[in-house]
Amino acid sequence: MTRHLVRLIWNRKRQNLLLTIEILCAFLVVFVVVLFGLTFATNARAPLGFETERVWTIDVGRPRALPGADAAANEANAAREREIFTRLLAAARELPQIELAAGTFTAPYVNATWGSGVTLTDGRKLDFLYNRVTDDVVPLLSMPLVAGRNFGRQDDGAGTMPVLINRALASALFGDGNPIGQVIPEKPDPKERRDPSEPAPRQKRVVGVMQDFRQHGPYSVPGMVMFERLQLDAAHGGVPDRLLVRVRPGTTVALEPILVRRLQREAADWSFGISTMDHLRERKENDYLMPLTVLAVIAGFLLLMVTLGLTGVVWQSVTVRLREFGLRRAAGASGASVRRQVFAEMAVMTTFALLAGGLIVGQVPFLPLSREMVSVVAPGIYVGAVALSAAAIYCLTLACGWYPSRLAARIPPADALRYE
Amino acid sequence: MLSHYLTMTLAVLKRRPFYTAISLFGISFTLLVLMVITAIADHALAPMAPESRQDRMLGVHSATMWGEGNQWNSDAGYLLFDRYARQLPGVETLTIFASYQTVTTYLGDQRVSSALKRTDAAFWRVFDFTFLEGGPYTEADVTEARFVAVITSASRERLFAGQPALGKTFEADGQSFRVVGVVDNVPDIRMTPFGDVFAPITTAKTDAYKREIMGGFHAVVLARTTDDLPIIREEFNARLTKVELPGKDFTSLVAPFETAYDSLARESPFGDRKDPARQGAKLTLFLVIAALLFVTLPTVNLVNVNISRILERASEIGVRKAFGAPTRSLIAQFVVENVILTLAGGAIGLVLSALVLQAINQSGMFAHSTLAVNPRVFGYGVVLAIAFGLFSGVYPAWRMARLHPVEALKGGPAR
Repeated sequence: MTRHLVRLIWNRKRQNLLLTIEILCAFLVVFVVVLFGLTFATNARAPLGFETERVWTIDVGRPRALPGADAAANEANAAREREIFTRLLAAARELPQIELAAGTFTAPYVNATWGSGVTLTDGRKLDFLYNRVTDDVVPLLSMPLVAGRNFGRQDDGAGTMPVLINRALASALFGDGNPIGQVIPEKPDPKERRDPSEPAPRQKRVVGVMQDFRQHGPYSVPGMVMFERLQLDAAHGGVPDRLLVRVRPGTTVALEPILVRRLQREAADWSFGISTMDHLRERKENDYLMPLTVLAVIAGFLLLMVTLGLTGVVWQSVTVRLREFGLRRAAGASGASVRRQVFAEMAVMTTFALLAGGLIVGQVPFLPLSREMVSVVAPGIYVGAVALSAAAIYCLTLACGWYPSRLAARIPPADALRYE
Repeated sequence: MLSHYLTMTLAVLKRRPFYTAISLFGISFTLLVLMVITAIADHALAPMAPESRQDRMLGVHSATMWGEGNQWNSDAGYLLFDRYARQLPGVETLTIFASYQTVTTYLGDQRVSSALKRTDAAFWRVFDFTFLEGGPYTEADVTEARFVAVITSASRERLFAGQPALGKTFEADGQSFRVVGVVDNVPDIRMTPFGDVFAPITTAKTDAYKREIMGGFHAVVLARTTDDLPIIREEFNARLTKVELPGKDFTSLVAPFETAYDSLARESPFGDRKDPARQGAKLTLFLVIAALLFVTLPTVNLVNVNISRILERASEIGVRKAFGAPTRSLIAQFVVENVILTLAGGAIGLVLSALVLQAINQSGMFAHSTLAVNPRVFGYGVVLAIAFGLFSGVYPAWRMARLHPVEALKGGPAR
């Protein structure tokens, strides 16, 4: 039966080739949308690792350090600025509406990211999202720790640098072993040119494991994260770019100018820009959802166009072949069997298109250009997206055959044979 | 002949309204998408106030400094322009201005965010803003670091409830500015002149910027004639090779004067930031390929529907062939039919895109945008429609012309 169908399709190969190409294109369009949608939906199910209710971010703009100035001058400047920052935190905490204040380099939903990496003694290289935070950031963002503890005063003057890592980094570093108290087995980079006046970097010791810290929000790809402790009253470590505060329930925007004026008093030549986390989150989620929405709307209309077009084409070819169907009916085939023939032909054609489509999308992950993409899309999601889009395309083509096949099945054989 | 084709086309299109509707839907939707994208690109890049003399303008919007194992991408710094971009040959006016900075003004319980752009006085001579009130700040205002500002009409709406603002003061980022002028809004997709509030460059909180060659600043030149543009570009690139770079980490610097589009291409994944040559062609190539990929599906769809329509008319073709009509005239007839159909679809698409653009303006997706189907965009639309019509009409026409007359008379090919 299948062989017979394939032969029937082969007999009308030119027209059917174009139809197959159209189905193939439709598959590719559906695939792209489904792949994005599935990736976002999967990401959204993973925990964020922080809460931003009543949290405000204050971007702290400082006069930039002079390029070309010598390292000692830069460090002296940074030490002065860390002192100012400490005063800013104290000033913020004095306000009765503010529960907590902390300093950090990057914050949830802001666009700036800080990537870093280590080369391990076993030769592996790990890249992760990196941040330096003061002790209050973890409680301020209600970040759940799954093991160990947060940084604290007990880490002052420790010989090692205390770090918090997320679960993904913990399992990459130590497998199933207990990461707490472990030193990250880092291989020193011989190529790194270091100023002799700077002390050798301290080894990093894991004090706690956070659930996660997905800075770019629920749709972002979960990855590996490391937080280093920032001690403002110690040498080195830089000056944080952001000041986070958590306000008490019921605090309104009226506090913002008061807070800015208070901060401005401590540092007249610095700038302070407050944004609420709600606003930043909305903007960030929009960054993810807007392109997907535009893509989905366009894809939806393209599919509607394909559905109508295919229906028209199948309708026409059924009309042309009414004599053939009439002959089959006259020879004793039931209406249902004629209808099945139309559907089966559509299905065979769709299968060809999907095989070609599968071949194409199967190549994509192996292209040199797609390296980046492979790290963003899990293989399971990729395969799932292929399967889901294939199923959607079968439904679509069979829907296109629904009305024309009814037409073919319902026409009386005598009329069909006479049809011109 | 053409009027005959026209009559034929209308008759054919009326005979099978279902196919006509499918075709028109596909054509108008495809052109709608292309037109909306074109209109946005036009709004971002074509000459319009305050950049109406764009054909004589070049700007430095991105700079890259690198050495072994180090690369620093950002905009350039004030010092670079102040020291190397002054007195370039062929330049009528040079303006140096900062990237905008988002500042907040508190009005009672309300917060107002504005894009504050600090500029020199030449800014107002390079860009032709329309002043609704007052005028620009002067060289003296800039050298004396007076706290004066020019605001847009949207800012006047937000800061002063739309009342005349001249001489009034407002606070932004802890500084107090007196309004000396009010100008028309600038859409935020016009990246170069965009701002809500403009103030003298010298009102910055510190003068550290004066000593930096990287970060935070843009320069735009207005050339005397368009012929001077290549000279300006080359002279500045030549001067940049002599810049003393800070530290030992950096050995080269590229920050060319170029058009906004070339600059966009430079910062896109297709551009090479280390190459001072123009980068626009690479982005154009990508955009053309992307557009072709997008129209593949609609084209195949239209070809399929067209072939069905032809087979429907097999007997008509058979008659014409039997009476000796040459293949060429049959092809011409069908291609003309198809182009007429796509033009009709294009007209629908044009009306729809006007509606969609209106909706985008109102949605605030692009701040202060006034997207519209202007004559230029209309021209693009007609060209797109004709190209699409030819694209999707030629293959079906060829199939139609090859039909064997006998088969055609019998109502279609056996296969």
